[in-house]
This record gives sequence, C-alpha cells and structure tokens, in this order.
Amino acid sequence: MDYLYDSSFEGFLTCIYYSYSREKADGIFPEAFYQPSLMTRSHVVVTNPEYADRVYRAIEERLAEDSIRHIYYAFLAEAPNKENIMLDYLRLGFRMGAKIDSYHTHPQVQPLHNISRKVGIEVHRFLGLLRFADNGRFLHARLAPDHNILSLLANHFAERLRNERWVIEDEKRKLAVVYDGKSGARGHKGSSWYIICLDDLLNYATIEEDPYQELWKLYFNKIAIESRRNPRLQTQFVPKRYRKNLVEFEPLLYMGDKQE
Amino acid sequence: MAKLAVLAGAAKYDVSCASSGVSRGNQGGIGSTKQCGICHAWSEDGRCISLLKILQSNDCIYDCRYCANRRSNDIPRASFSAREIADLTMQFYRRNYIEGLFLSAAVEKSPDYTMEKIILALSLLRKTYRFHGYIHVKIIPGADPALIQQAGLLADRMSVNIEQPSEQSLRLMAPQKSLPMLYSPMAQVRDEIIVNQEDRKKLRHTPRFVPGGQSTQMIIGATQDTDLTILKTTAGLYDTFGLKRVYYSAYVPVNQDSNLPALATAPPLLREHRLYQSDWLLRYYHFQVDEIVGPAHANLETDIDPKMAWALRHPEFFPLEINRASYEELLRVPGIGVKSAQRIMRQRRLAALSADEFKKMGVAHKRAQFFVTCKGVYSGAKPFDPVVVRNILAPKPRATQLSLF
Repeated sequence: MDYLYDSSFEGFLTCIYYSYSREKADGIFPEAFYQPSLMTRSHVVVTNPEYADRVYRAIEERLAEDSIRHIYYAFLAEAPNKENIMLDYLRLGFRMGAKIDSYHTHPQVQPLHNISRKVGIEVHRFLGLLRFADNGRFLHARLAPDHNILSLLANHFAERLRNERWVIEDEKRKLAVVYDGKSGARGHKGSSWYIICLDDLLNYATIEEDPYQELWKLYFNKIAIESRRNPRLQTQFVPKRYRKNLVEFEPLLYMGDKQE
Repeated sequence: MAKLAVLAGAAKYDVSCASSGVSRGNQGGIGSTKQCGICHAWSEDGRCISLLKILQSNDCIYDCRYCANRRSNDIPRASFSAREIADLTMQFYRRNYIEGLFLSAAVEKSPDYTMEKIILALSLLRKTYRFHGYIHVKIIPGADPALIQQAGLLADRMSVNIEQPSEQSLRLMAPQKSLPMLYSPMAQVRDEIIVNQEDRKKLRHTPRFVPGGQSTQMIIGATQDTDLTILKTTAGLYDTFGLKRVYYSAYVPVNQDSNLPALATAPPLLREHRLYQSDWLLRYYHFQVDEIVGPAHANLETDIDPKMAWALRHPEFFPLEINRASYEELLRVPGIGVKSAQRIMRQRRLAALSADEFKKMGVAHKRAQFFVTCKGVYSGAKPFDPVVVRNILAPKPRATQLSLF
C-alpha cells in the first residue's frame, strides 16, 4: 500500500501512524507528484494532528536523542524520495531504539543522516550568509536556499534582532518569515514569528538608499590580501548560486584611495 | 569612506577571525553569540570574515620592521572616533554582515592613551547601545593593568600578538618590544580569568571576564626561525597561558628592508598550512611537539602532512586493528579525523566493523587503507612499507610542457 500525503510534516507523521495501526506502507509519496502504478494500491491520507502528535512523541521517547531533529531536517530537504528514506529510518528506529544513530553505515540510517546533514550545513551557512537591507520600515532579506530552511533560521534572528522588525523571503519557494520586533525567540513567550505564503515577491525590496551597503562592499574589498588571492577557496565557501543575494558581490561604486 | 578604506586595509594582516567560544543570548538590546561561531562572508583570498576587523588608528609610535603601519612609512594616517566605531559595528551587525567587532589599534601617543580610547569605544557599544554580539580586542602591551582589566570586562576575547617566536627575532624586528613586555599582559589576563571563574561559582551574576579566552599570532617566514622553534613556542603558550588559539600569518612583504624577504617574495602559504595542521595535532590529536618536529627534522615536510610524516617515521605502530584500537590510537591514523574516530568508537560498540563499513565511515580511505586492519584483514592496495606508501601519497611533480626546441 502506498500512502499519499499533503506535503505537510503532520501529514507525513499521520502516514507513519497508519503504517503501524492499519496496513504496512510500501511507500509514502506527496499526493501532488504521485505516479500511480498497476502493481500497488494507494491511499490518500487525511492529515490528523492527533495521530501526528502521537508519532512525534513516540520518536522523541523511543529513538535516539537526535532522531526527531534528523527526521525534521530531512523533511525540509529538497531530496527526491526523502519520505521513503525517512520511513526506512523510522522502521529500523522503532526496532533498535536509542542505538540507531550509532549505526552510521547501516543502509537504513546513512541516507537519512546524509540529507539531514546537508540541511544542517545550509542552515549554518545562512546564519552567516543572510543579508538584511534597511528600507526604512523593516529589515528585509532575500535568499534562495537549496532546502526549505526558513523555519530553522527564524529563531536565531528573533533572538539576535529582538527589537527589529524583519522579513526573510525565500524567493524559490515564495515563502517568508515575518517578525514583529517585539517578542524574541519562540519558546520564550509563545510564538513570535510566522511563515506566510507569498503571491509575489516584495517589490520594494531593493533600495539604493542604504548607505551601509556601499561601506560594506568597500570593507569587503579592502580586507582581502592581494598576494593571497584564492578565488577557488572562496567559491568553496560561497558557492556561486548564493551570490545573487549577497550585496558584497555587486560592483563597488567607490574604491577609496587606490594606494594599495 | 576613505577612513574605512585606510583602517580596514591596515588591519587585514591580523589573521584571527574566530567568533567562537562564547554562548550568550540577547540580554535586551541587540545581539547574541554562538558557541560554534558564525562566518559571514569570505573575501577574495578565501579567508572568512566573521568580525568587523578595523584599527582604531594606524598612527603608530613604534617602528617594527615587518609592519605596514610603522612610524617611518609614509602612508595615509587616520583614526576613528569611538562613536564612529560603535555606529559602524551596530549598522553592520543589524544587516547580518558581521558577528561582532575586532578592534585593534596602532600605539598612538602611548599604550595607556590607546587603551583608554579602545575602552571608550567598547563601553559605548556595550552600555549605551546594549550590544551583545562578539567583541575581540587587542591588548596594547605596556598599558596599565587596570585598563586591561576594564577592557576585559567588555570583551569576549583578548589578544596580544607576539609576532616573533623567539626573543632574538623580536629584537631584530621590533627593537622597541621584548617578549617579557608581551607576556606580562597575557599572564595578567590568564590569572584574572581564573579568579573570575572562581568568583562566578560563588556569585552567579559576577560580570564575565574575557569568556572567550586569549589568542595570539606569529608571523611566518619573515625571519630564519625554524618550525621547531615556532611549534615549541606555540606549545609553551598553550601550556603557560592557556591560550585558546595561536594563529600563524604567512609574511606578506610590505617593507623594503635588508633583514626581510624581498618585496616580491610570495607569502609561504604551504608552510603556514602545515603549521596549522601541526597546531591541530597539538590541540585535538594528543600529539606532543617533539613527535612532530625534532632537531633532526626541524622543519615540516611540505609534500606530506605532519601526521602522515609521523606515521611514516613510525611503521612499528601500524597496521592498527580498528576494532581494538583506543580512541587516541585511532586519531594517529592518517585519514581518520576526530569525527570519524568518534563514529568508529560508537558503531563498533554495536558490532565489529568490516572493511566495507570502515570505508563508509567518512574516513579518507585513500590514506587510511595502508595503516589499518578491519577484523584482522588488511586491505591496502599495496603492502605497508613507508617508502612505497610515501611514493603513492606524495603529490606527483607536475608534468611540464616540454619546450619545442
């Protein structure tokens, strides 16, 4: 039996619930992209928050300390067939318990660790590579990450820029995190930021009047040591695909004095 | 604008960039720090930009031979006011360009005068602007201990650059400085960190003193010092002063001087890289200096890394059975790092590792294969012989285009 779900995390967890309580799942697929086959039957699962919650707590209680994080990170990954990698991992996890994350090379563990790690790396990268511009009303950042990481960035900035109003836009997925500049990170006093779907990207995003962008570009150019130039190394750390949204890679208007 | 160009350009030879070691939430105001540190950008030389690294002033009373800002150089001089530094830091930080501030300074008028100006900028940031991001500040050697203490309560990390690994080189390069003069503030900060940690056990709200610890930097290749001298000094600094990091900076010739490499000399980047690898062996791999370099081999080999060099000098240690070796022994195997060693330790508790599983552990199998057995099976491509292994792993001389004539 193939279970089809609505692409939400709760939906996925509901499928896991049915796989154990009703009929074993052969596979889990997002309904929107499912290709029916003659060999297997399929069933569209209606997301049930209560069932999802029970599975969530079971993962927390019975698997390893990091398992729920790995599962959630993998869910946010842009990886074909991620649902079935997660299913494989959970199946083994409910048998092995807390030991599962020590079994690094197991074919039901390693693929999940790999995609979860990719997401984790990208999150850490964007904690640094995100650029806000001040448009006079709020701080605005735009990015095009490989994975759907907005929800993993929000807490960090809600803590750090607690008194600022900011918006972070994912231009690939047309999603945005909005923070009101008041309440701090989640978990302090309830929810403080929320994710919205955008019909269109915000268009007053690019403003030329932010004088600090020029200063930053100047600093960025001045800090490099000429005789150590190493663009290959730079590309390892800042892949070209990220540079579109990084102000320091735009041409510099003013070069300071050209002594050096 | 022009000021920023001068004072950022003047600060770029300081290599420390870490924003790590302190975990602090936002205590009202703006900013936080993360234990792991965050890099925000990478400049064209491939080095990370984590902190806004600027000099408060490049107007120096000293005349150190290796330094671009020495008194006898005819270069544009500039200085920032405390408010300019604080504003720039805040505005860069809000836009997530940086993780915090790295404030250094040329010694202007006197050490005390310079240190006072630094404190002014830091207290404006911390107290008036309520900035809780990362601050790394240079200690000006010779400044009043009371001023150093005051700065330490505002900063996350402090550093004094010793620049030269031996008293002799220092005297040659920086005639107005001496090692005792550089070591005394280090000792002061070390002692105050210990006292502060004790105080904080009794009274939780005692303000923290330099929670990110101290670091220092040495210039590589400006003088004749060997890697042995450099690494001995490094280990001494870790032991004596409890430093968090020692940085190495391949010397970029900026001044014409008979005692220095010529201006066109390329910075010794590979040597710098090998020194960093050795530094890692000291800090994370339980190596001692005399295992890495010794009187017979006072300089590191360039074509293989220092851990491989050690392994090839000690064939009696290998091959190692990975299912029985201790953690410390695993770390000695070329190709196994801290993470893969930990993974091996964890997984072999469940079942003995086969050669296939070992390959998938995230080790550099190309190197590790010659040094291990898995369940007693050796699966290196060639039998273990230091000469053979060296030939396989050392970089091949690059084929050059033959001249037509």
